Amino acid sequence: MVENVVSLDEIRSKERSRKIKYGYMWALFCAVFWGIWYLPGTAIWVLNPFDEMSVAIAATHGDSMSLVIVAVLITALNALTCVIALLFWNAVLGKHKLKELKRTILDFKKCSKWFFLAGICGMAAVFGSYLAMGFIGAAFSAVAGLLYPVIGSIVARLWYREKISRRAAAGIIVIVAGGISIYAGGLVTELATGSVQWFGYLGGLMAAVSWGLEGAVAGKGLDLAEPDSALTIRFIAEAGYWWIIVIPILSLLGFPMIHYALQAFDPLVILVLMFAGITFGFCYVTWYKSFPLIGVGRGQGIGNLYGLCAVIFVFLFFGTSPGWAIIIGGILCVAGSFLMFTESTDGMSSLRGD
Amino acid sequence: MGERPLKIRILEIFKDGQPRWNYEIVDMIFKEYGMTGNYDRDLINFDLIELASGGMLSDLEQKVDAKGVYKKDFLLHKYVITDFGKEKADGACAN
Repeated sequence: MVENVVSLDEIRSKERSRKIKYGYMWALFCAVFWGIWYLPGTAIWVLNPFDEMSVAIAATHGDSMSLVIVAVLITALNALTCVIALLFWNAVLGKHKLKELKRTILDFKKCSKWFFLAGICGMAAVFGSYLAMGFIGAAFSAVAGLLYPVIGSIVARLWYREKISRRAAAGIIVIVAGGISIYAGGLVTELATGSVQWFGYLGGLMAAVSWGLEGAVAGKGLDLAEPDSALTIRFIAEAGYWWIIVIPILSLLGFPMIHYALQAFDPLVILVLMFAGITFGFCYVTWYKSFPLIGVGRGQGIGNLYGLCAVIFVFLFFGTSPGWAIIIGGILCVAGSFLMFTESTDGMSSLRGD
Repeated sequence: MGERPLKIRILEIFKDGQPRWNYEIVDMIFKEYGMTGNYDRDLINFDLIELASGGMLSDLEQKVDAKGVYKKDFLLHKYVITDFGKEKADGACAN
């Protein structure tokens, strides 16, 4: 009898650790995919038609406006390739997932509002990131978004009472301190030279706030939907907003959106865009998968390592060496994530207060 | 054939307040949705895990699956719906 109790407890704790382990593993995969995304995200700017488009619009509307408009087209194409990557992902997972996607879209009319709302937040976040990439650079864009767990955790705490342990909160604070270090480092250098790329900084802020909100909003809808279906709907929503609302409006205002969008059908451009879609789509898959296992706050905290991954990838592939502020910030990010990562799993069997 | 998204359907099953084991739910969903096999079983179980971690189901009791009715030497879980789960099941999303 006693032996049975021990073995039940052992298996119980093993199962709990497995849940936590998978949750953190998904979140870590999210960080890697998300970090890699900044490579195609940076490369796409120098490819045609985007390079030509930027020059053409700059001639009539100025440099800043041209970068903003090009960022819109790139973000809209990014959303499309994410939809393709995620539909493929659902198909790979099997016929049940495709049926579930259909069921979720058909049955979920009232509730899919959360995913459509998450789509709006995501739209602002991706657009903000591309703005930051275009105006300032990939490393900045990546780390600028690092503040999103603060928004995510606070909203999740206030809105649906998610528990955040002291240790997790401390980890989040250290990660954020790292993010601020990298952010402030770049800003100080630019202020010294007198040329501050405000659109880029605004983009970075947009990314942080919108991603934090998106996680919290999506968490609300995910209560009653499978993440694979939910996030596919979220990207379909985002692609819809861009291609049904924003791109036609900009076209009516006289910007040659469709002209350049059609020119994107070039093998190299499609390859880079698909690479962006796959890495970004999968970073979402893994992000959403981690939430039910370890909670929105922790999922976002570990996913936050993407900032460091991006800085490393950008350094390896583009040879852009990071400054001291980025190195200090990166170390803080790792330290903060490990603070959360080594957290005892006791008391985590339910993440939400009763 | 089941028409509702799985997590909503599972919550609906629990709405009567009766506790149920995870393998019972898997059997019911298998029949309703024409699902089969270990892979589909794990997908349904993951939905239960998500519902429990979301606070809509409470993990009432566990026992070791010694006979392999579900997955040999793994834990069997008995869940019951929580007040929050009832609220969600009655809410706009589930109707």
